[in-house]
Amino acid sequence: MTTTESPPATSVRPPSARKRGVKPWNQRLAPYLFVLPNMLVFGVFIIYPALNGFNISLYNSNNGRAFTPVGTKNYRRLFTDEEFWQAAGATVIFVVAFVAVCTAASIGLAMLLTKPIRARGFFRAVFFLPVLLSPVVVGLLWSWILERRSGALNAILGAVGLPEPGWLVSGPLALGATVFVGVWAHAGFYTLIMMAGLQAIDSSYYEAAHLDGAGAWHRFRHITWPLLRPTTLVVVILAMIAGFQSFDFIYTLSGGGPLGATTLMVQYIYEHAFQSPIQYGLAAAGSVVLFCTIFALTVLNFLYGRRKESM
Amino acid sequence: MLTYAALIALSVLVLAPVVWSVLASFKTRTELAARPPSLLPETFRLDNYTGALSEFDFGVYVTNSAIVTVGATVLTLAINAMAAYALAKYNFRGRNALFLVTLGTIMIPLQIILIPLHQVVAQLGMTNSLLGMIIPPAATPTGVFLLRQYMLTIPDELIEAARVDGAGELRIFLRLVLPLCRPALAVVTIFSVIWRWNDFLWPLVIAQSQDLYTLPVAIAQFNSQEVVPFNYILAMSVVSMIPVVIFLILQKHVVRGIAQTGLK
Repeated sequence: MTTTESPPATSVRPPSARKRGVKPWNQRLAPYLFVLPNMLVFGVFIIYPALNGFNISLYNSNNGRAFTPVGTKNYRRLFTDEEFWQAAGATVIFVVAFVAVCTAASIGLAMLLTKPIRARGFFRAVFFLPVLLSPVVVGLLWSWILERRSGALNAILGAVGLPEPGWLVSGPLALGATVFVGVWAHAGFYTLIMMAGLQAIDSSYYEAAHLDGAGAWHRFRHITWPLLRPTTLVVVILAMIAGFQSFDFIYTLSGGGPLGATTLMVQYIYEHAFQSPIQYGLAAAGSVVLFCTIFALTVLNFLYGRRKESM
Repeated sequence: MLTYAALIALSVLVLAPVVWSVLASFKTRTELAARPPSLLPETFRLDNYTGALSEFDFGVYVTNSAIVTVGATVLTLAINAMAAYALAKYNFRGRNALFLVTLGTIMIPLQIILIPLHQVVAQLGMTNSLLGMIIPPAATPTGVFLLRQYMLTIPDELIEAARVDGAGELRIFLRLVLPLCRPALAVVTIFSVIWRWNDFLWPLVIAQSQDLYTLPVAIAQFNSQEVVPFNYILAMSVVSMIPVVIFLILQKHVVRGIAQTGLK
């Protein structure tokens, strides 16, 4: 991000300004009035709840009412809950696979889509299309296609004499399908970012390499890959955050099943917070753990990226 | 040649599910249950669309989605643009802190503050109302950031000249700055419309009664409860894709806008 600071608004002042450094009252008050509505919404609906979330995790709630302080009991319960560990494990597998495939796919697609080819605009639009669909609909589309008996995929597999597995019936296959659908829905967005990164690479590097007789692989290995690293870092961080937040398309794809195999952290939190028996404290503790994980990993990624950069 | 082969194969992978479901939305229930599934419907019938409309409150869900999308987008544009203007064009105490707060909120996704946010909204009496879906997500850090970056490119001299001419602060913002920011405002509008139209988790949490369901919430809830025939859910899903088509038409405009915003 390039945040160029604007020169102070006081640098050019009308000659009528009475004293140096003193602006008329309306110019001093105006910025505060302008930021007020947005900051009010931020404060009431993001910052206060974020701080309060930690507080709630230290209380027990009797079906959403009558809060009593319980110290770290919710955390101890969380860490001894088998369902929590299953959700945490599934989340880790999902996020690692999702980030890896999204990053690789977006680099590959971006390289294809920045070539001077016919119908480039059309292809770019096609790969951006899934990003625009409602995640709920994305999950549904794929649940229809992956359906064991009436789904299109097994109809095709059966027609060519291949086995027709129950994609959403077995745990490992369902988690794999979830990763695939997640990548299908998100890769176009990361491709857009990668395309911007690729276009920022000076073409004279490639021309020089070409004159030196470097092959396609060498050009990728020694020019594209190192120069694309800052962009890759951005994509990895964004994909990681998106991966940890995944919920809506899984809700309609597999519903978190079979037997919780595709229930990720957000669904675990949602179920404990809004489905009876309502356990706000436990769900809030889960949220705090999720936030700390995302925060720590983002910071680590940044530090790692910085270190590489300075080498 | 290899490039085209790869792109065409991948395009099929991306488009096939979408095309298949759009075609399927015109099929009868018997055709939908056929094994193996057919590609094209025998005749293009609108029965699923009219059925969803007449037998279920399909129209209500579309209307709710439209109200939430339009309301939230107008609010987002108004407050984001005002905040962005202050952060870009005024030098005031606390400006850097407020800008950092804005960027920092990107790190706090809805999923993590779901419970405490729900409590705040409940205390304000906004649960089970469209207002509760519109107001809380209206302040978007991305919107403020995009608009601020764009406003930095407006010369200060222009604003000073307007001041010399005696224009008030609000008038400068409304009459001079906003019109100049049209491309950036277009980008924020389109993002906001797509986010709000497709939003699921927050409307799901807020809508307790069925008459407040937005389209994605209705689709997901009916799908999991199986109270609505599959063919109607299919029709609703296709309707939910309409804004996407509109986006693809507006695409060039958007891409140009993004390029001018400096988000590269």
